[in-house]
Amino acid sequence: MTDVSSYGITARLPRGWDARIAKRPDPAGDPAGPSTRAAPEEGISTRSAPAEGDPPGPLAGTEHPVAHLANFPLPPVRGDYGSGAVELMRADDIFVALVEFEPEAASTPLFSHRGIPRFGVNDFSPHTMQRTIAGMCGAQAFFNRNGRAFCLYVVLGSHALRAPLVAQVNALLAGLEIDPL
Amino acid sequence: MTAAIVALGVVVGLLGVLVVGLLRSHADVLRALHDLGIGEDDLAAAGTAEGRRTAGRRTTRTTGEIRMVPGVAAPGASSSLGRLVDVSGVDPHGGAVHIGLEGSRGLTLLAFLSAGCSTCRDFWRAFGTDEVEQVPGRDTRVVVVTRGPEEESPSEVAALASDRVTTVMSSAAWDDYDVPVSPYFLLIDGSRGVVGEGAGGSWAQVVDLLRKAAADAGLVLDDEGGRPRFTRRDLLVGRDRELRADRELAAAGIEPGSPELYAPLHAAPGDGADGEDGAR
Repeated sequence: MTDVSSYGITARLPRGWDARIAKRPDPAGDPAGPSTRAAPEEGISTRSAPAEGDPPGPLAGTEHPVAHLANFPLPPVRGDYGSGAVELMRADDIFVALVEFEPEAASTPLFSHRGIPRFGVNDFSPHTMQRTIAGMCGAQAFFNRNGRAFCLYVVLGSHALRAPLVAQVNALLAGLEIDPL
Repeated sequence: MTAAIVALGVVVGLLGVLVVGLLRSHADVLRALHDLGIGEDDLAAAGTAEGRRTAGRRTTRTTGEIRMVPGVAAPGASSSLGRLVDVSGVDPHGGAVHIGLEGSRGLTLLAFLSAGCSTCRDFWRAFGTDEVEQVPGRDTRVVVVTRGPEEESPSEVAALASDRVTTVMSSAAWDDYDVPVSPYFLLIDGSRGVVGEGAGGSWAQVVDLLRKAAADAGLVLDDEGGRPRFTRRDLLVGRDRELRADRELAAAGIEPGSPELYAPLHAAPGDGADGEDGAR
């Protein structure tokens, strides 16, 4: 197990997992900043929270932290919700995105769940993918923790074989810590 | 006259024996050098201090090594071959980066570069262009590792870093792998650790050496338009022939366990797989 920590987010990674915790800069800020490293995602232009039940989407360009955790090699360029990475996934691969929103969102109904959620096998659906990929499935949840608002988005490489993958996801989430701002 | 001819013959004979002895001695020396892994390139470079360092170190390594050229520093005294440690650090903008190598899929090329090293410039440049795609192996990823922010300027690294490769600043990684100089390269297999290491003067040179290192380590690099490449080891053990036979049998509808596989080789027309020959 290895701890990876940045911007008040700490993930305890199993052996062989990749992780990136980055913060998109203010678009009006440093032009050499990592905003140029973000992969474009379809329909992205707003920083408002998505509606509950909608596939995750528009949030590339947010200046809040974004954490990507995966049990496969992450490509250098990815969208906030994993575009550019999920297309590379194989059946036993897992991708987890933790995307932070404005602190004010923490008090809204969408983010009313307190604490880091866990997933059940039935929470995953092929239709929860940002862009449907045959055989894969996804799940998302919104929550608040220590006054911070997050969207948790998980993609599994195989819907048919998701049970053991969900167990790995929940073990990973059990080691996730979020500090107050 | 006869005595002179006999004497001349004896002298020629003695000279012949002497020449044969010298040739045998020379062959013994060459064979010994070959056994030590020292080739003509090393002998040519042996006149320089760099060449002597390189040639001396070559005697301790036998597989998966990237060879140094004159003018490029030799690796440190301790080899990283077989070592496998994840790389943790920060990106040039302050975010956390963790490269999981233990058990990871495919190959990873760790390129240890520095922002201030002149030899590194060709690599920074190449990693910002399509040239980076020349790295052997379809699944091989390139990760640039600089020293941490306490030793390298993050803004300089950010200016050089390319979107095409992951860049991580980690002094710990340099220590973990005993990296002696920059540029320096480690080819890592997720199950076997470092399978090749060394330095090169240009990206094209490193690519060539990586292919050799991977082949020496018995790694199959499927990077030529989906056509499988066979390593020297595959060819030696006959894996190429075995795979070709399997493909041709499958194309003929003969799968593992098919009765045709157990039929007599020279059965008479009308004989089945359960004929006399097959029952013997």
